[in-house]
Amino acid sequence: MTKAAAITTKKEILVTGFGGQGVVLIGSILGQAAALGDHRESTQVQSYGPESRGGYCCSQIIIDDRQIQYPYVRRPDILVCMSQTGYDKYAYMLLDTTLLITDQDLVKPIGFDRDYLSIPATRLAEEMGRKMIANIVMLGFFSSVTLAVSRKSVEEAVKDSVPKGTEEMNLNAFKKGWDYGAAMLKGREKKAAGHAGVAS
Amino acid sequence: MKKNTAAMKLIVFICNWGPHTAMHTLQEQGADIPNEIGLIRVPCAGRINRALLLRAFEMGADGVALLGCSAGACRYGSGTETAVGNIDDMQEILDLLGIGRQRLRLGMSLPDEAPQLLQFLKTFSDDIRALGKSPVEPQAMKAVQAQAPDTAALVRAIIAGRDVFACQDCGKCTSACPLALTGKNYSPRAIANAVITGGATSETVQKDVRACLTCGLCHERCPSDVNFPEFIRDLRGLERPDSETRSEAHEGFFQSLMRTMASPGLTTRKWQWLGNDVAIDPASKTLFWGGCAAYFDYFFRNFLAVKTRDILVDSLKLLNFFDIKPAVLEDERCCGHDLLWAGDEKNFLRLARLNAQAIKEHGIEEIICACPECYRTFVHDYPAHGIELACKVTHLYDILEREIDKGAVGFKKLEHAVTFQDPCRLSRLEGKADLPRKLISRLKTQGFKEMQDFGAAALCCGNCAWTGCDAYSKKLQVLRLKQARATGSDLLITSCPKCQIHLTCAMEDPIQSGDIKIEMIDLTGVLVKTLRWE
Ligand code: SF4
Ligand code: SF4
Ligand code: SF4
Repeated sequence: MTKAAAITTKKEILVTGFGGQGVVLIGSILGQAAALGDHRESTQVQSYGPESRGGYCCSQIIIDDRQIQYPYVRRPDILVCMSQTGYDKYAYMLLDTTLLITDQDLVKPIGFDRDYLSIPATRLAEEMGRKMIANIVMLGFFSSVTLAVSRKSVEEAVKDSVPKGTEEMNLNAFKKGWDYGAAMLKGREKKAAGHAGVAS
Repeated sequence: MKKNTAAMKLIVFICNWGPHTAMHTLQEQGADIPNEIGLIRVPCAGRINRALLLRAFEMGADGVALLGCSAGACRYGSGTETAVGNIDDMQEILDLLGIGRQRLRLGMSLPDEAPQLLQFLKTFSDDIRALGKSPVEPQAMKAVQAQAPDTAALVRAIIAGRDVFACQDCGKCTSACPLALTGKNYSPRAIANAVITGGATSETVQKDVRACLTCGLCHERCPSDVNFPEFIRDLRGLERPDSETRSEAHEGFFQSLMRTMASPGLTTRKWQWLGNDVAIDPASKTLFWGGCAAYFDYFFRNFLAVKTRDILVDSLKLLNFFDIKPAVLEDERCCGHDLLWAGDEKNFLRLARLNAQAIKEHGIEEIICACPECYRTFVHDYPAHGIELACKVTHLYDILEREIDKGAVGFKKLEHAVTFQDPCRLSRLEGKADLPRKLISRLKTQGFKEMQDFGAAALCCGNCAWTGCDAYSKKLQVLRLKQARATGSDLLITSCPKCQIHLTCAMEDPIQSGDIKIEMIDLTGVLVKTLRWE
């Protein structure tokens, strides 16, 4: 997937998790990055389960180069799941072409037999000392593996969207996720080429 | 092509027995022995060790020949065989140095082979004349000084510079010193005392100053922050020791090697052995600095058989694994660490300036070092001596830690329980003891256990700067290896080529070896074996 191709196609994105994880923030940052940074069209809507905190929660983002007529995701290109309920609830929408991204430790994609990408975002955030930045770690990972928005635009949007004084911490979290994604793609490439170890 | 043959210097070490008899015949016949040849008559060719052969080149010889008795005719049995081995090693080393193996040759003759000997000498002299002058510029062995240096003033400057008057005479240094611990009659506190009271040039102090390991344990404990290793270094530079206090290991081979590398006209071939299983990018602005491992391996190949060169290959493989293709300096010289710590500041500075210039000419932006000594020297001692490298210097481990931390890599199981020998330059002098440990903690071993003394308090491998290796060094190494064994580990991970060399040497001890043998591997080697993409 080349960068140019990635940026000029329409993307329907679903981000799910439980309330409090900040999936809505992921959605609004993505929407803002696409619109203000990359100068494209974007929409973002959110929905919650019966009890918002702790229950499931979902953010729907559409990015396109043309005007967007309908803001709800019907055919997701990408489904991001940060919680098991989020996955259970939205797995029915998965198409053969949907890229599934999960939090490695929190989601077991039962019944899903294709290749998918995962990152232990919550664990990495905990290792960095703040569990609450798991969403930004996920955002970094998402951005590097999908290239749906440009890195610079998302970083700008992150800076604008997080509480004052936490910009640096959030940008570090973003970088952590981004590097993890880039390393993972590189690793997959090397393994595919038969170079898994150092010596071989 | 006209060459200045009169200035050619050819040295021929000639054995007293077979070859000398043949030479005598030639001289009596008035044969036309090439007149640029200087003869040095020796009792046996086998006695001309590698340090002496190298010394001839260091002192400006354009060619050196060693003439011994034909195989089987050696009066002492093994002389010829020893000579062959020495010449083999030296030819490899001369190639690395960029002097070239052709400038050193071995001749053998029987007493009645005068014509053959003459032919050998003529060919030798013709060949060297065709090669031209050696790229090594000899240095004045002892600078002729207009007036004797004011030693007393120098000592005062050293005392002030290292703030030795702050010493409270508490003796913490001596109780921390590993040499004192081995029972050697040696005390850093006493050295400090003696120097303050005017004994800097006394024979005992000069001897002790050369026994110090510059390991820095005393400085670590000193409440007055007396920087003992650097104090010792200054004292070493005070005067060239006479032969009695002189204590260079291996007859001074390594000091000679490093001084030779300080010759500006020399173009070394330090990487000529590198295979194509690693990727190098000559245009890269990131430079991998290898260090002197290749020389060590040739020098020790028949005794310790260490493979420290593998550390360089493994480092490059690890960088390649993360898609980093650095440049290497084909004509890399020594960083100067050992000369500096042996007290030869003058030649250290010559090397440092040449290195800084080469690094600048290549437009290098970042140097990656795997050797803790090169690393420490670049980041600390170059700036402290006014040599600025206009680039970043990074230890390989910092890069590996950064890349591994990005994720997506994992480690194969390592079927060993491991312990770790701290490199004093990295762990103590540069305060980075946790850097190798971060990497080790990621390994999937059967357990990592520290030795009794570890980190900044670790015991050293027993030698530094090829100076002052004696029975007490051995005792210290035995102690250290017993600590390693006491952890119950079966693999000792190291981070410095010198630790590999000196500790392997200790394990050769025929009496102790049962109690001290332990498998050793450099950390880069472990990573190459186990690191993989997940
Ligand atoms: S530890 Fe420091 S203060 Fe104490 S005797 Fe040694 S040099 Fe002097
Ligand atoms: S540097 Fe090491 S060997 Fe030298 S005096 Fe200090 S503790 Fe002893
Ligand atoms: S420990 Fe062995 S290899 Fe090291 S300097 Fe001493 S004799 Fe040489």
